[in-house]
Amino acid sequence: MSDKKQSNRSFKNSRVYVVFFALAVALVFSVLITSAATMLKPLHQQNRILDKKTNLLKAANLLPENKKLTPEKIQTIFDTRIREVYADPRGQILQQATGDSLQLYLIHTKQQVQGYIIPITTRGLWGKIHGYLAFESDGETVAGFSVYSHSETPGLGGEIESQWFQDNFKGKKILNAHNQLVSVNIAKGKSENLPENLQDHYVDGISGATLTGRYLSEGLEETLTQYEPVSIIFRQKKGSPTQLESLLDE
Amino acid sequence: MQKDLSHYKEILVKGIWRENPVAYQVLGICSALAVTVKMSTALVMSIALTLVAGFSGLIISSLRHLIPSNIRIIVELTVIASLVIVTDQILQAYLYDISKQLSIFVGLIITNCIILGRAEAFALANNPADSFVDGIANGLGYSMILMAVAFFRELLGSGQFFGISVIPQFVYDMGFQDMGIMVLAPGAFFIIGLLVWLKNSLPGGISHEKK
Repeated sequence: MSDKKQSNRSFKNSRVYVVFFALAVALVFSVLITSAATMLKPLHQQNRILDKKTNLLKAANLLPENKKLTPEKIQTIFDTRIREVYADPRGQILQQATGDSLQLYLIHTKQQVQGYIIPITTRGLWGKIHGYLAFESDGETVAGFSVYSHSETPGLGGEIESQWFQDNFKGKKILNAHNQLVSVNIAKGKSENLPENLQDHYVDGISGATLTGRYLSEGLEETLTQYEPVSIIFRQKKGSPTQLESLLDE
Repeated sequence: MQKDLSHYKEILVKGIWRENPVAYQVLGICSALAVTVKMSTALVMSIALTLVAGFSGLIISSLRHLIPSNIRIIVELTVIASLVIVTDQILQAYLYDISKQLSIFVGLIITNCIILGRAEAFALANNPADSFVDGIANGLGYSMILMAVAFFRELLGSGQFFGISVIPQFVYDMGFQDMGIMVLAPGAFFIIGLLVWLKNSLPGGISHEKK
């Protein structure tokens, strides 16, 4: 009996058996993972696209607060109120992408352009932060901010997803009194502790997430500098309502 | 049959209370610090970990006579990691919002010592049904502590219960402020420490003095 047990044991640890067993386990579980990933892939993609659209609408303040909409409803609002366009380096709005054009979204009613949304991609503490920054049609007032993908620490940097942080951005100006681009920055602590002339350009920071705030500030400034020609176009039209079609025709 | 039931009950009580993985074995502290800022994330994490612990126990125990002892840890990790990845995929497909909040922590169930610990200490030596119950029991024990920690952290740190504000405005008007430290990791350390102390001074645990 003990002999048999002994031989069984040494067989189980023989090189051939170990290699065979390892291969078999690897095969079975890779099939399991692959099939799960493949079967759920359409759902993942759907979720991701829907999430991006939801965040676009959130930045544009087109979503009712505290209410969850069905995917169809979100799609309808997206289709009627948002138009994806491109801008060439001089800030002219194009319908089609060209080599060096920038992507942006127009917020519009049936005829009129109410603002625009810039996609934001910036470095974070642990990975890339992707989000949207929406502007009023005056080209300097922030209408909203949202984040759809990041890998910041939950509870700390992850707070960039939270409502209070994003609401923070509403009404901030990216131009100072001399009409120079100053971007929107994330303050260390509360923005109300800053000198009065800076308060319009700073939002409340997240305690425990100084680096996330710093990288986000840098990223916002960089992106806004890149999109400045577009903002200038909007600023020039200041005060006069812009027709959607005329903007696209130019 | 009667004997079976009391036998399973024994395993359950042991995993959930007497040898609670967090409070007695002091395992899984890392994720208990990380996902307990909000109760909703803690709940999903608890469910995910309980299921993974149960099924990894079941699978590893079924394979226990076949696994060569010199690669057993690798095999155990393969089983656990595969289950975790599948769980993550399912969360991403059906609970996208929560999966986004949990971010990397679902993936980190793989490194949660409770699961590997139970696989090593229990599943390799017991039959599949017992191992499944043991995994679930330890998962529930972990969940219990996790939810308790999350309850205090969310209440004191953000004044909320499952995302609903519960501390009335007049308390804030009187000068109460959310405790920032509760949102940070040290807050979780304090609460876990207090819970471990509380649990081990209550009857029904294993007293260290008696040994």
